[in-house]
Amino acid sequence: MKKIFKIIMCLTVVGLVGISCDNNLEDYNTNPRNISQAQLEVDFQHVGSKYKPIFESIYQYTPAWSYQLQQNLNADVYAGYMTNPRPFVAGANNTTYALVSGWNNFIWSVPYGNVMNNVKSIVDQTDDYPTLRAVALILKVEAMHRVSDVFGPIVYSNFGDLTNAGVYDSQQEAYNAFFADLDTATASLMADIDSQRFTAFDMSYGGDYHKWVRFANSLRLRLAIRVSKIDPAKAKTEGEKALAQSEGLMMANDDGFFVNGTLAHPLSVIDNSWGDIRMNASMESILTGFSDTRIQNLFNESPQYPGQYKGVRGGLPLQAGYSDELAQKAAYVNFSNMNDDVKTSKVQLMTAAEVHFLQAEAALRGWAGAGDAQTHYEMGITTSFDQRGASGAAAYIADNTSTPADYVDPVNAANSMSAMSTITIAWDAADDNETKLEKIITQKWIAMFPEGQEAWSEYRRTGYPKIFPVVSNQSGGTIDTNIQIRRIPFVDSELSTNAAGVADAVTKLGGTDDGGTRLWWDTGGPNF
Amino acid sequence: MKKINILLIAIFSMLLSLNVMAQEKSISGTITSASDGAPLPGVSVVVQGTTRGAETDFDGNYTIEASQGEVLVYSFVGMKTQTVTVGSSSTISLALEEDANTLDEVVVTALGIKKTRKSLTYAAQDIKADELSRVKQTNPVNSLSGKVAGVNITRSASGAGGSVKVVLRGNSSIGNNQPLYVVDGIPLSNPTAGQPTSTFGSLNGGNRDGGDALSLINSDDIESLTVLKGASASALYGSAGLNGVILITTKKGKSGGFKVDYSSNLTVENAAYMMEFNDEAQKNIDSFLTSGTTSINTLSISGGTETAQTYFSYGNTTASGILPQNKLKQHTINIRETGKFFDGKVKMNASVMASTQKIKNRAVSGLYFNPLVGVYGFESAGESLADYTNFEELDPTRNIMSQRWFRGTSDIEQNPYWITYRNPSEDTNKKLLASLKFDFKINDWLSLQTRGTYDQSLLDYDRKIYATTEATLAPSTGRYIVENADYTQLYGDMLANINTQINESTSITGIVGVSTTGSTLETFRGDSGANGGLQFANVFSFQNFNANPSVAFEQNSYETKVNSLFASSTIDFGGKIYVDLTARNDWTSTLPAANNSFFYPSVGVTGILNELFEFGEKVSFAKLRASYAEVGNGFGPDKISPNRSILFGGGVNSTDPIRPYPGTTPRPERQKSFEIGTEWKFNNNRFGIDIGYYHTNTTDQYFAVPVSTTIVASGVAGLNAGDILNSGIEATVFVVPVQNEDMKWTSTLNFATNKNEIISISGDNVDGLVPTEYFVMSPKGVNTFGSYLVEGGSFGDIYAQVIKKDANGLPIYDSGAFVAEDANLIDGLTKVGNANPDFTLGWNNSFVYKNLSLDFLIDGKFGGETMSMTEAIVEGFSNNSARETANGNVTVVDLSGNTSTQTAQEYYGAIGGRNGYTGEFMYSATNVRLAELAIGYNFNLPENSFFTRIKASAVGNNLFFFYKDAPHDPNISLSTGNALQGVDVLGLPSSRSLGLNINLSF
Repeated sequence: MKKIFKIIMCLTVVGLVGISCDNNLEDYNTNPRNISQAQLEVDFQHVGSKYKPIFESIYQYTPAWSYQLQQNLNADVYAGYMTNPRPFVAGANNTTYALVSGWNNFIWSVPYGNVMNNVKSIVDQTDDYPTLRAVALILKVEAMHRVSDVFGPIVYSNFGDLTNAGVYDSQQEAYNAFFADLDTATASLMADIDSQRFTAFDMSYGGDYHKWVRFANSLRLRLAIRVSKIDPAKAKTEGEKALAQSEGLMMANDDGFFVNGTLAHPLSVIDNSWGDIRMNASMESILTGFSDTRIQNLFNESPQYPGQYKGVRGGLPLQAGYSDELAQKAAYVNFSNMNDDVKTSKVQLMTAAEVHFLQAEAALRGWAGAGDAQTHYEMGITTSFDQRGASGAAAYIADNTSTPADYVDPVNAANSMSAMSTITIAWDAADDNETKLEKIITQKWIAMFPEGQEAWSEYRRTGYPKIFPVVSNQSGGTIDTNIQIRRIPFVDSELSTNAAGVADAVTKLGGTDDGGTRLWWDTGGPNF
Repeated sequence: MKKINILLIAIFSMLLSLNVMAQEKSISGTITSASDGAPLPGVSVVVQGTTRGAETDFDGNYTIEASQGEVLVYSFVGMKTQTVTVGSSSTISLALEEDANTLDEVVVTALGIKKTRKSLTYAAQDIKADELSRVKQTNPVNSLSGKVAGVNITRSASGAGGSVKVVLRGNSSIGNNQPLYVVDGIPLSNPTAGQPTSTFGSLNGGNRDGGDALSLINSDDIESLTVLKGASASALYGSAGLNGVILITTKKGKSGGFKVDYSSNLTVENAAYMMEFNDEAQKNIDSFLTSGTTSINTLSISGGTETAQTYFSYGNTTASGILPQNKLKQHTINIRETGKFFDGKVKMNASVMASTQKIKNRAVSGLYFNPLVGVYGFESAGESLADYTNFEELDPTRNIMSQRWFRGTSDIEQNPYWITYRNPSEDTNKKLLASLKFDFKINDWLSLQTRGTYDQSLLDYDRKIYATTEATLAPSTGRYIVENADYTQLYGDMLANINTQINESTSITGIVGVSTTGSTLETFRGDSGANGGLQFANVFSFQNFNANPSVAFEQNSYETKVNSLFASSTIDFGGKIYVDLTARNDWTSTLPAANNSFFYPSVGVTGILNELFEFGEKVSFAKLRASYAEVGNGFGPDKISPNRSILFGGGVNSTDPIRPYPGTTPRPERQKSFEIGTEWKFNNNRFGIDIGYYHTNTTDQYFAVPVSTTIVASGVAGLNAGDILNSGIEATVFVVPVQNEDMKWTSTLNFATNKNEIISISGDNVDGLVPTEYFVMSPKGVNTFGSYLVEGGSFGDIYAQVIKKDANGLPIYDSGAFVAEDANLIDGLTKVGNANPDFTLGWNNSFVYKNLSLDFLIDGKFGGETMSMTEAIVEGFSNNSARETANGNVTVVDLSGNTSTQTAQEYYGAIGGRNGYTGEFMYSATNVRLAELAIGYNFNLPENSFFTRIKASAVGNNLFFFYKDAPHDPNISLSTGNALQGVDVLGLPSSRSLGLNINLSF
């Protein structure tokens, strides 16, 4: 007992003294269940762990509704790929050009919150690991050109910089920065091309830097083609650089840039579980018109119209005769949905077929090293058929009669519409460049499915393929129904937290901040 | 015990040199109040004709040196002075009689320090045990409503064992507005394992009330509650006392004989206040809801000798709610030992309180997992809800019992019986509070005190979701959710009490102390998830979880340490003027090293006007008080440099947690408050008034401000910002209209009004940061209810989607759709009201006629608004509401001014629903209710009776509303946190309860 009392007294005294000596109070403050910088450094995870969120957010896996708002209910519909059977917000939503700012915030916040921050963290910590930095830069260009292609000016070179906080790059500045980042990345990878340093973190190429350089080259070619109308000189320089690079371009299907995620494809949730997305009428018109056998790999027959692939017109309002959104959804939900082949956990971001079509266009534009346009056009088609496991590519390539089909809406005849184009499949050397380009872009459009972001960008740049306009245009005159939507306005979160930056960005945009203003590379002029 | 005694003697004779004079002897004793036996601190003891004097300590004890034959004079303001001639005995204990002129109560103040009420420089109001437990509630704090001016109580809509929201003098904090609870001088940790934040509800088991530790305290163990409303009162408790303090004094054993008290309480509750349904729907609702019962029993034994006293109590509560299968079981044990050793020079106080509570199917609000959705929305021709009590049937394709319902289930609507029996939840809460306190009296003017507490709350939750529950909520094999939280707090302090008599009229009492508080929170959450799933259907165990990244396993640990040094002193100028000074410095682990030490002072002055001036016979007491106080706050743990979290099976979280804005160093939050008040009593204390004004600015709160994602990628960063002002008036008026031998009638009126103004929500100018326009308290979500802090607005503002009206107030309906209001929008919503009342009135009456007593409390809240999203949802999804069935017409107007009519069914059906025009479902929150009624009888007992007291009473709670506009009871809230104030989304209907109380003593 005596001892116990002594201990109590001592503890009290020590406790009192302790209060004044306790200099490391801060040490208590951190939740040890989270991971500290020191713990991350083991196995290089301070850099390595940051790639996974980047890979999984260029086209966000989870939650599925995040991707739905990031891309599915804008670009995927504007590209003519898919349509929502439910007329959300009583038909006044993005797809009818009543742009929903709350939704469109995700196009911005997903890449900034998951890609830009993690790339910055990697770049800040990889002075000694230039190849790891290189991969991060390539991923950054891939993620952010998609964002610039939606809004125009974006914050790219000033990201996270407090002295130039929130200052936007014009789209031209952003594209130049993309090319410069690709230069840095390619040089770093070429200097240590056989290193396996990235293998543990690579969700695409198993750590093979040769394939990463091929992807960088192909991405450079994509961006060069994109600016070919507005800045032909820069386009040619960059395009030829891509065509000449020693590692070459992605030519085989296993060179394609896919993210092998650990999670379900968000489309599988949106399509299967929620029934919120279906085939677009433009897809039905072109694929059925061409008797394209890939249709059975991309879509399922409509359970309501057996033996038929049935798409839905984009931009449906809440139509007469339906009491509410769900009633109208019930009428369209049993049209064609996506085939499971496009909803595996692999998210497709760039395919070898696309690169062949890019080369075909480069050839039309006379870029050195592009090769023959017809060869690349036909290789693009075969590569795509191979990728999908479809048969009959040879006959398809030779088909010079099939044209897109007229569209019939079996639910509401008012939505039926004649085909938008009479373009055929087979290459004809005698065609003018414009017709050739329509063929190239139309086939590229089919091959890129379901990556609607790139398809919408190329549609805006070239006007191809010719897709159906929206049924209902609720833009209040800011967007022309036939010219279709050109961009998405700057987001609310930026307007409230970076108003000066947005005002400057609108100047750099060179037009009003609405959906009708063309981006820098979207000249509206002739393609040649 | 003896061993300890010897030990203490041994140690202390070494440690302390006691000054004993040779010729004089040491006289000691305890001075108490004759009226209630409570010890009196600060009683002046003077040897007549000398300058030798002493003063009693906080427990009424004194020691003075005097020789036989000398005369001791005991004087205390408000008491009759007594004189005693020193005889042979060395102990002189007295009970001082009240002086007819004034009444001086002793109140317990910060750190357990007892002071006379009249010396307080701030507002304090207390409630005695009988008043508190007259109409018993499972959470004792609920009984405060209407009984203390300026205390705003909102009960949780989760039924028995639910938490309670107490706001003193208005909301000021974006974090926590609840006061600090202090049990016998030691801060109590009162955690909640979570509160609802979404009107829609949580997919992870519904909008649940995590409960609070207060509901684990047995109200029969409480001797009294004292509410210290302002920061002045709580400056000594530091940050935790920022929102005011509620002091709980528990019962302790008294010397002399053993006493046994037994009280038993049985009440029956029925759902009483809900929206109006049509007859058929109401029948279905009545068939589902049941009568609830609550039984609270407590047995306590107390007694002891002069040197050691014991108090023991055991209490249990058994309740069944108005929802089927909603059950509560609670057991509480309380043991308290008090003892004096060494001629009273060393005192010890040890107590242990242990409590356990189990709640099955605690009511949730919102749309997910809420049986009321299906109950209120049921409409199937030719069928009644009772036809679905058989909630499952065999699905031969899976060979499983699957849910049956009159239509396809949806995420929000399932068979209510299925939710009850096949989505059952269980909350298990435990609390252990152990404390030990020693007092060492060193000499006449100095004593030391040291205390320590171990305070642990374990809050566990478990929900089993059976296969064939709707797919948004659970995968096809079912789902299992487990959450555990362990809150442990260790508190220790050491105080030196100094009493010095400067001259006959001036004395100084002072306290210097140190304290240390360490709190830890360990949480665990395991959830097989809405997508992850179980391997085998309906086996609820972790080993049955699918190995899938959609499964959540998550642990978190938070630790906070606060060390403090404080001093307080009261200078008493002859019982006429009192000056209070306090100072405190905190060192907290939650702030960066550069800013983790912060100091704050308070000062207060009280003048006893009737001592200073002559007012004549009529005025029995008059006082004027004023005080100013500052309090600093170090906010919560892990906010300064949090690390990234790890996702189960998913690597690191892609985004950084909220961190301080780049380049800034967070500093403590501050509160500065000023108050002034006056107290008057007239006609021998038959009538009195206490009125006060306060003004409190809360600045530099640590906000999570929206930031451009191009600067901070997560779009939010922490920043000290804002200035929120609360000012108001509190008044208490009491009158004793009748007082004679047979009868006494006491009537008390409590009034309070608080005005909350958001002066600013911006912080320092920092690079790149655009000042925030508003701060979100409840996000808009899908349900179009929002609450925002906006400059010029006030805390609790309600925003909703409103239909535009024409000049005549008719709703505008054009081209087949309602036209939304587009003025003054935030997030597309318009401000439609505020959840807080403009003023509150509580009128408490007590009649005693011989053995009979009658007590009633009328509780009124005036002003403020509340939204019935329940009504919007019921009317949007069904035709069950009474006004839809009555099918009156509603006139609408188009944009060109042409009017037309819609049937009520069309109109409310169109504007209701889960994302409807919620602004059209707003009601005044004004309500006046008969909150409590108790009729009691004290039996006359024969002299030789075994019993010393038998009292029986009939009690009623929440009996009826004199006035109420809203369909629901506005005194009930979905959350006892900051979110979801002023909205009812299918919350459990408020009930009326009637019951019986029996108290036996022997």
